[in-house]
Amino acid sequence: MFIIIPVSILTGLAIFFGILIAVFSKKFEVPTNQMVEEVLSNLSGANCGACGYAGCEDFANALVAGEASLALCNATSKEGKTKIGELLGTDASILDTTVVCACNGGNQCEDKYDYQGYGDCKSVELLAGGRKTCPSGCMGMSTCVAGCPSHAIEIIQGVAVIDNNKCTNCGVCILQCPKNLMKRIPTDKYYYVACSTPLTGKNVRVNCKAGCIGCSICSKVCPEGAITMVNNLPVIDYSKCTNCGICASKCPSKCILKRNEN
Amino acid sequence: MPYWIYLVISGIFVNNFVLSRFLGICPFLGVSRKTETALGMGLAVIFVMGVASVITYGLNLLLVLADIEYLQTIVFILVIAALIQLIEIVIKRFAPSLYTALGVYLPLITTNCAVLGVAIMNVTELAKQTVFYAFINGVASGMGFTLAMLIMAGIRERMEFSDIPERFKGFPITLITASIMAMAFTAFAGLSL
Repeated sequence: MFIIIPVSILTGLAIFFGILIAVFSKKFEVPTNQMVEEVLSNLSGANCGACGYAGCEDFANALVAGEASLALCNATSKEGKTKIGELLGTDASILDTTVVCACNGGNQCEDKYDYQGYGDCKSVELLAGGRKTCPSGCMGMSTCVAGCPSHAIEIIQGVAVIDNNKCTNCGVCILQCPKNLMKRIPTDKYYYVACSTPLTGKNVRVNCKAGCIGCSICSKVCPEGAITMVNNLPVIDYSKCTNCGICASKCPSKCILKRNEN
Repeated sequence: MPYWIYLVISGIFVNNFVLSRFLGICPFLGVSRKTETALGMGLAVIFVMGVASVITYGLNLLLVLADIEYLQTIVFILVIAALIQLIEIVIKRFAPSLYTALGVYLPLITTNCAVLGVAIMNVTELAKQTVFYAFINGVASGMGFTLAMLIMAGIRERMEFSDIPERFKGFPITLITASIMAMAFTAFAGLSL
């Protein structure tokens, strides 16, 4: 008998509170925002956090509240963004972009020293500004490869190469690269400048076989006048570019490349 | 002097929950980085301690009646946990601003030893046992907790800018600060009322 009373009292209390919580949670249910759920279903769901919010749900909340702009998210497809734009009644004409690595040096670029430490671009960068003689040369130590959530980056011939079929445009590599070599270009344009060197003509030739020497031939041959020279580097105006590829074929150091995509 | 004034002074200063009873150390060290969060946590604790004191005091009468006081701990934990769930649901529905202000601290308190401590001390240590005194003791203990949190948060905010030896940065210096604060509070032990 002395065991039945405590057990029954405790069980009774537990059942009582259980039912009470169930009733309360049903009765005082906070209606969840239908809009947030629909926006969330149209986001990429990558939860990469590149937008600055804690995951896609947080971002969806901020979108519905009007605190965030859809442009912050790069992983969501164009279709998804268009749908969200319709849902929220905001402008959905956001440029769809993908990422390229603006360096083609790798093994063609001279090494400043033989690095033997912990293998990560960020740690190499701390040592005399990286191991390449070019101050903005890709070191090929795989920081972007390790960071990429969709495994779209490979180190080929000592330089990072992005497979644009796999790239979800989340922007993690852009944040990770200590040399800031990852650049966004529109998905419907194929040619990009694969060099970011601050060096000038002769110094580029000495250090890197794949570097831009600033000859400005590309800007002269471009039929649309889309290329201008800024700091000895060509800059392509993608609103004018027609994907003709003349610049790439005429470039003497082959540093204007076609994107790696089928 | 009325007994409840004695309870208030005792709860806040003499028998401060954090600094002389060493209960609720976890939030004291964890949530005291900023004054605002410390205040939020403190308010949530005052609220929960007040409510929990009344409810558990009533339940204890039931336990005494059935002669099963040894179940105090387990029953009190059950009741406090369930109570906080209920309060959270109601607050979320009717006072969303308060809900966001208390935020994550309300569910954190569910398993806080300070809350369980005040519930048990209400039925074991109080000289005069009534629901009113239990409630006052709960609220005063919560205020003591809040006071300790606020002082700690203030010190830690100042400490951000001071020159601390590398090895003492972060947790070690916080523990040292807490112990010095506790020693300072022992001065209240000599308070005669």
